Amino acid sequence: MPKITINGKNMEVPAGTSIIQACQQADIPIAHYCWHEGLSVAGACRMCMVEVEKNPKLQIACNTQAVDGMIIHTDSEKVKDTVKWALDFHLINHPLDCPICDQAGECKLQDYYMSYGLYTPEMNQPKMKKNKVVSLGERVLLDQERCILCSRCVRFTSEVSKTNELGIFNRGDRSVIGTFENRPMNNNYSVNTVDICPVGALTSKDFRFKQRVWFLKDFETICNGCSTGCNVTVSYNQNGVFRVRPRKNEAVNGHWMCDEGRDVYKHTNLEFRLEQVVERNDELGGASVKGKPVPLAIQEISKKLKTLTSKNADAVAVVLTAQYTVEEYEALLQALTALKVKNFYHWKNNEETFDSFDGLLLRGDKNPNTQGLLKVMEKYKVKGNLKDFEKGSAFSMTIVAGPENQTVYPDLEKKIDVLKKGGEVVYLTSCKNDKFNTFKWQIPMKSFVEKSGTFINHKGMEQKIKGGLKISKEAITLTEFAAALSEAGGARA
Amino acid sequence: MSVVKRPSAKSKWYIPGILTGLGITIKHMLFNLAHRKDIYTIEYPEERYPYSERFKGNHILTVKKDGSLRCTACMLCATYCPAECISIVAAEHDDPSVEKYPISYEIDILRCVFCGFCEEACPVDAIRMGPEHQTAAIVGDNFVYDINRLAYRPGLKGGVLSKVDDEERHKKGL
Repeated sequence: MPKITINGKNMEVPAGTSIIQACQQADIPIAHYCWHEGLSVAGACRMCMVEVEKNPKLQIACNTQAVDGMIIHTDSEKVKDTVKWALDFHLINHPLDCPICDQAGECKLQDYYMSYGLYTPEMNQPKMKKNKVVSLGERVLLDQERCILCSRCVRFTSEVSKTNELGIFNRGDRSVIGTFENRPMNNNYSVNTVDICPVGALTSKDFRFKQRVWFLKDFETICNGCSTGCNVTVSYNQNGVFRVRPRKNEAVNGHWMCDEGRDVYKHTNLEFRLEQVVERNDELGGASVKGKPVPLAIQEISKKLKTLTSKNADAVAVVLTAQYTVEEYEALLQALTALKVKNFYHWKNNEETFDSFDGLLLRGDKNPNTQGLLKVMEKYKVKGNLKDFEKGSAFSMTIVAGPENQTVYPDLEKKIDVLKKGGEVVYLTSCKNDKFNTFKWQIPMKSFVEKSGTFINHKGMEQKIKGGLKISKEAITLTEFAAALSEAGGARA
Repeated sequence: MSVVKRPSAKSKWYIPGILTGLGITIKHMLFNLAHRKDIYTIEYPEERYPYSERFKGNHILTVKKDGSLRCTACMLCATYCPAECISIVAAEHDDPSVEKYPISYEIDILRCVFCGFCEEACPVDAIRMGPEHQTAAIVGDNFVYDINRLAYRPGLKGGVLSKVDDEERHKKGL
């Protein structure tokens, strides 16, 4: 274990640690562009210069190993001057694009200019003109002028996604990032290059020009796109949710997330949401009636449920998708078993590809909480899946906790026909869909950004989600549904 | 504290007060008739007071040489605006050298406090405060000014040209 001193602070680091990692452990900021925790060392940007005593020249912190007795200075005048000059060189051909650049506000060039630069540029030659708005693939755009050639994206495609689409072409100040002819970057991890780009060279087509980043607030949660349960940061403001970015968690997703997961915010926005109770009114010839208050609707459902179960416990079925939290299942199963309901079915989507895995993060099980649902069902000693529901006899009433994210249920329409056999269907859903109008009831549910709870991922790891957004006003959670159901049904009395 | 003064015998003698007041009025009338040029009052709708060209009145969105909006939708004005009266929706432009432009730029003029911060924040001289200050309108009129009104209202005669030109900047190598 080498003992080193950084800025007068003694510390011990594991052998093989680089100076930049040691500084990170000691919470000492070091300017850097090309170094990234999850990638190999390139040593291209020359920004992380530090002064090592008894060494005639400054060293780059990312590619210098900390050895015993090293005395390092990161804040001396010499270091600051070197970083300033390195920054000046990076900005020689950088356009003054900040007003239209999506990275502005979270750009490392802006940050370091304010902390190390504040100089007047000394270059009097015209700037190099390169191509702007170059499409690299379905989701990523490149601005060659803004690029500082840190090669993070190139290393990402060769080391993490292992697809090798990107490369650096040409020499000197004509160097540009690019793809090979007819081979666009369409891998399922391409937007990670946008996240790791320290400047505004790579931008996401989906997020581009939607919002300035300083108008957004962040909160941390778990992606509900698949059973991996990647840790993510969701950005939102009063106009809705705008993007999802990965958050470091070595035990789950490292630094990355897949492109499919980037879309999980879309269904949470108001334009896709079911905002009110929808009831099919048979007296009006099956017309949909909107706007009944949620408590009243649940009261009616509860009354019906109670009369049915008091006669025959087998008349009622419950179909559950694995898109809700453990706490919600717990509350629902507790309330319903108290009301003598005993037919519970687990609704699996895409059964053929359910156990598939792409080798990196994405899993075929597109539900965040399959393990959690199975665990709760086991606890209440109920089992069954949608096939059993299909084969079994017809029911008078069925409560369906439908999928929150409908796009991961490709056979949803077929399954709607299957569910019709459930008699009077109470469909709990976050998103609207005209196909649901055949059901007796549709109750609006909260999405994963609006509620808190626990997801259990494929490994059995419990992860908390912390919602707190208010998007749909009337939406409720399964817990609230269960509580209203049992109160109105008199189960507690 | 409110004091109610009961009419006294003295206060019934109001005629001297009226005559004094009338005297002052007549004095000013005669003075003004003699010195008509020195009167401060103007006959408002027909005659208007000339304000300085630098008066910070209604906003103007400037245009480029081809007549399109100069605004790049960077939203610095909307960020800086203390009244939060500016709302911009940005979009991708077909021309890669323009890249970003506003498809909607609206100022809620009733919320605006005419502080001029938007003009100060703008990096490309796209928004200015013009000398126009009379914006009275009847109820139900549209007080949310859109691009058409801000950049191309008849008073501007086809738009005001911005001082910052991208082509010139590119020629200089910036």
